[in-house]
This record gives sequence, C-alpha cells and structure tokens, in this order.
Amino acid sequence: MAAAAGPGPETEELLLLEKLLGLEKGNKYGAREERKIPVLQTNNGPSLIGLATIATHLVRQAKKEQLLGSTAEEKAVVHQWLEYRVTQIAGHSNKEDITIILKDLNLYLEDKVYLARNNFTLADILMYYGLHHIIAELTVQEKEKYLNVSRWFNHIQHYPGIRQHLSSIIFMKNRLYTTAH
Amino acid sequence: MAAAGTLYTYPENWRAFKALIAAQYSGAKIKVLSTPPQFHFGQTNKTPEFLKKFPVGKVPAFEGADGFCVFESNAIAHYVSNDELRGSTKETAAQIIQWVSFADSDIVPPASTWVFPTLGIMHYNKQATEYAKEEVKRILGILDFHLKTRTFLVGERITLADISVVCALLWLYKQVLEPSFRQPYSNANRWFVTCINQPQFKAVLGEVKLCEKMAQFDAKKFAENQPKKDVPKKEKPAKEEKKQEKKEERKSEPEEELDECDQALAAEPKSKDPFAHLPKSPFIMDEFKRKYSNEDTLTVALPYFWEHFDKDGWSIWYAQYRFPEELSQTFMSCNLITGMFQRLDKLRKNAFASVILFGTNNDSIISGVWVFRGQELAFPLSPDWQVDYESYTWRKLDADSEECKTLVKEYFMWEGEFKHVGKAFNQGKIFK
Repeated sequence: MAAAAGPGPETEELLLLEKLLGLEKGNKYGAREERKIPVLQTNNGPSLIGLATIATHLVRQAKKEQLLGSTAEEKAVVHQWLEYRVTQIAGHSNKEDITIILKDLNLYLEDKVYLARNNFTLADILMYYGLHHIIAELTVQEKEKYLNVSRWFNHIQHYPGIRQHLSSIIFMKNRLYTTAH
Repeated sequence: MAAAGTLYTYPENWRAFKALIAAQYSGAKIKVLSTPPQFHFGQTNKTPEFLKKFPVGKVPAFEGADGFCVFESNAIAHYVSNDELRGSTKETAAQIIQWVSFADSDIVPPASTWVFPTLGIMHYNKQATEYAKEEVKRILGILDFHLKTRTFLVGERITLADISVVCALLWLYKQVLEPSFRQPYSNANRWFVTCINQPQFKAVLGEVKLCEKMAQFDAKKFAENQPKKDVPKKEKPAKEEKKQEKKEERKSEPEEELDECDQALAAEPKSKDPFAHLPKSPFIMDEFKRKYSNEDTLTVALPYFWEHFDKDGWSIWYAQYRFPEELSQTFMSCNLITGMFQRLDKLRKNAFASVILFGTNNDSIISGVWVFRGQELAFPLSPDWQVDYESYTWRKLDADSEECKTLVKEYFMWEGEFKHVGKAFNQGKIFK
C-alpha cells in the first residue's frame, strides 16, 4: 500500500515544536513508510529519522537543553517518556489502547506535576501534542475519571506558545461525578 | 522594571524567603543584610535611623534603592514581584491575596504550636499540640482538595500564593509531617514537592529534605535554651532586648532558633513563668495565704498583709463587673466568678483576690479586690488568662491610701459597709 501524500501527524508536531522553540522555519521534512515516520534532512550531516530523535535535535539546535532534563535521572526519564510516546501513542490507537494509556498516565501523574517530576521537559511537550486528539474526544465524565491526566494536560496547554492552532480543551475544576473515583 | 534594594532580616527567616523567592522570579535585585556588622538583629532594628524608616522595628524590612521603604513580609514580597506572581486580573490577584492571608491566619499558628517544641524553643503542651495536629490535618485537607484538579494554587503558573503557602508549610514538612502523616494528602504533597524543586525556590531554600520521622519535643534542647530566657529584665515587651542578651551570652547559638522562639512566644500560650522578669519581692504570698486561711482575718491576716506588703513588687486592684444587667440567678453569677478563678489557675502563685457578689437575683453586681505580682495587670501575659478580664473594669489602688485600706479590709473580711456598692453582701469567693 502506498503512503498517502502530505506530511504525517508527527511531522505536524515537529513544526509545532519548531515554532514553540522559536526556531526559524526552513527545515525540510520527509516521511517514510505507511506510518509516515518523519525524516529530517540536515545540512551538514546524515538525515535524522523519527519523532523523538528529531525533536531532541531541535531542542539542542534551539539551545534549550534544560528541556531534555538536568540530572542524569531526569534525562533518563525524559527519554523513557519519549520512547513511550513513540511506541505507545501511535496515530491510530484504538479505544482499548487509549484506555490503557490513560490509566497508566493517570496513575503515574498522581504525585507529579510533569512527566519528569518537577520540571517541564520535551516529554511533556510531545506527550501533549500526541494526546491532544485523544483528550479532545473525552467526555466530561472521562476527563474526571482521569483526573491527574486532566490536571496535567490543562497545565501543559497553558504553557506559553505550546498550543498554537490546537484547540483549547475545557476542564472542569469542580468535580461533577463525585461518586466516581 | 524590576525592583532593587536592601532587605534587612535575620538569617534563615522563612518570612524573608517569600520576598527572596519572588525576586528570583521577577529578577529584582535584592541585597540581603542579615549579619553584623551591617545588620545586628535586635540592635540595628532598634536604632532611631531604622525606626524612622520602619516604625515597627520588625524584620524583614525592605529599603529600595530609590529610598522607598516597606515592612511586613507579604508586602515586601508583593513589591518585589512581577505581574505574573501578583496576578494579572483583579480576580486572580484577589485569589492570591486569599491564599497569602490563609497562610498567615490558618497555617502559621498551628504550625508554630506543633513545630517549635520539636526544635526545643517552646515548651511542649500535649493538648495544644494535639489540637494543632488536627488543625494541620484540616489545612492539608483543604489544600489537597483544591489541588486535586489544579497544578498550582491560582491559575496555571506559580504565584505569590504558592510562594507564601509553601513557606508557611516549610517547617511542618521538614520537622513533623512524616510519610504516614502526609500520605493521605498526595495532591498537596505533589504541589509542595514541585514548588520546592523549582530552580527559583531552590536558589533560596537550598535542598529541602522532607521529614522522615516525626520530631518530638526536645526536652534537652529546651532545657539548654531555658536559662537564657530567664535573664532578669526590667520590661516585659523587650523581646529584642532579650535576644540581645541571649546573643551576648551564647554567641554560638544559631540565631534562627532564637527568632522562631520569639515568634512562638508571641503566637502561642506559654508555660514559662511570665513573672520571671520581675525582681524578687520580700512579700511572700504563700505565707499571707496561710495566715488568711488558718487564722483570724482581722487580728492576724490583715496586720500581716500590711506589715509585709511590698508595693514595688506587687499591686492592688479594684475590679467591677461591667455588665451587671446581665446577672440573673445568683448561682449563675457565682459560677461566673469561680469559672474565672479556674481559668486563672496558673496565676494563683502570683495573685490573691476576694470577689463578692452583692444583691439578689436579677439585681446584683460583682466586684472584688485583687493583689497581683508586678505593677501591671497580669492578664495579657498569658492567653489562658484573657477570657474574663475584659468583662471587668480595673482600677489600680494606691496602697497607701485610706480607700485602699478600707477596700482591702472589707473585701478580705467579707464584712463592712461596702459604701460604694449600695447592695447587700450575698456571697464571696476567694482566689488563692
């Protein structure tokens, strides 16, 4: 099966990231295979393949290394979530996969404000872009069920410059379904 | 443009932290003066130059490079903040003030009651501590509920609300909120840990280690701290003076404790002897009470009283109940008197009183003669004692006057004309 024309969703994300990081436009992206894995052709080196790899490169290019984590542990955690983002949250997750993802994240975020615990990193940015279409589909009741994810998502979408043309998702701060967990 | 200026404080003052953290966010340039010779806490802030700028003489106090002066930690923090920290809309600004006030009114008092004894700077009172623990649970519950759906207290960014509440909770999280105690408040914990790990907080607070095991009252440390506080002093409100003396005596003592202690003493019931600052008096109250209880009042106790009474070390007061129209049944009026005596229990060693109910049901008055240690009314010295005294008018009697002699005689004997009263003696109560 031939890939459809046009950039894939992950390339769209990289364009959002470029803008967020304040990088000049001009990077040329290609897409590979059916899943449209993004490819970046660099001027003075080999082409880079894959969302996490290219995103990390862009952060370095923008000289915002703190977004990759400061301590060794934090860097590892950022990597962990970039990997999770690429492997678990593909463009076409089915309902069951989504439920598992939301459950996982909800549990993980119970005692954390950011994915890398105390600081905003690239992991939050890519997870936000990757989950946007999923969260946008949730009902009010589901948003309340995954309360920690909702709180995290709402916080991240208010980060200056991150949302761009993406829709702002509404969250209730007062719970409606208090009998549910 | 960000503010710039000098912050006067003592070292490690959590109230000053609020301004310093805010400055980390806003970029305000603050020079901290907290140690001699530039700033000697207890001395510098009592000098006329300082008081001219800051009439209250408290720290932290901020002096801008342009000469602008402001005291009170919340005001300083507000001044050195940027708009994001202060709240950019009227609503968010109001919510921020709400949490800043909540920290001062609801968190600081129980936090002090619970934490200070564990630092050995205040005596342990089981009842007060247990009450404080319940209060802390209530506060953490409120914060936890609020933070369930929120990342920070107001809006989606750190504001002065977070800075103030974190600083107010700092000692609790460091000293007593052991894992099992704080475990039910996971949302509050998440928020607290996130805040203290922000680079701007870390720059001021350093690495904050959360409590692993609830600290208990440190009797040894408290005992070590004690003698310094009993240094004789002439005046009771001289808290800074006390500090000075303390400092001169024990230079090695960390100043932070001293200051926390003062805050504790100001904020909490104290169990130390509130008359310790008075010079010794030759009048032995116990001896008089023995005479009064065991021997004839007119022929033994009264002569003894006037022979030994030391008018420099003690004072005599006439007190009259201000709301006689509210007195109905005489037994209820008597309960009013005995209830007051009970609440003043700890004052017994340093006071004597005869309080009399005159008249009958629905037509009575209460008045009495009191003898206190010192020249001031003792009640403001301890919160326990403040319940009743404002319901009375107090008049200091001149111990040498005829009026005083008559009142003492009549009230101590429960006999006489009671000319000033105009109602018949009903019953009397003795505080001894």
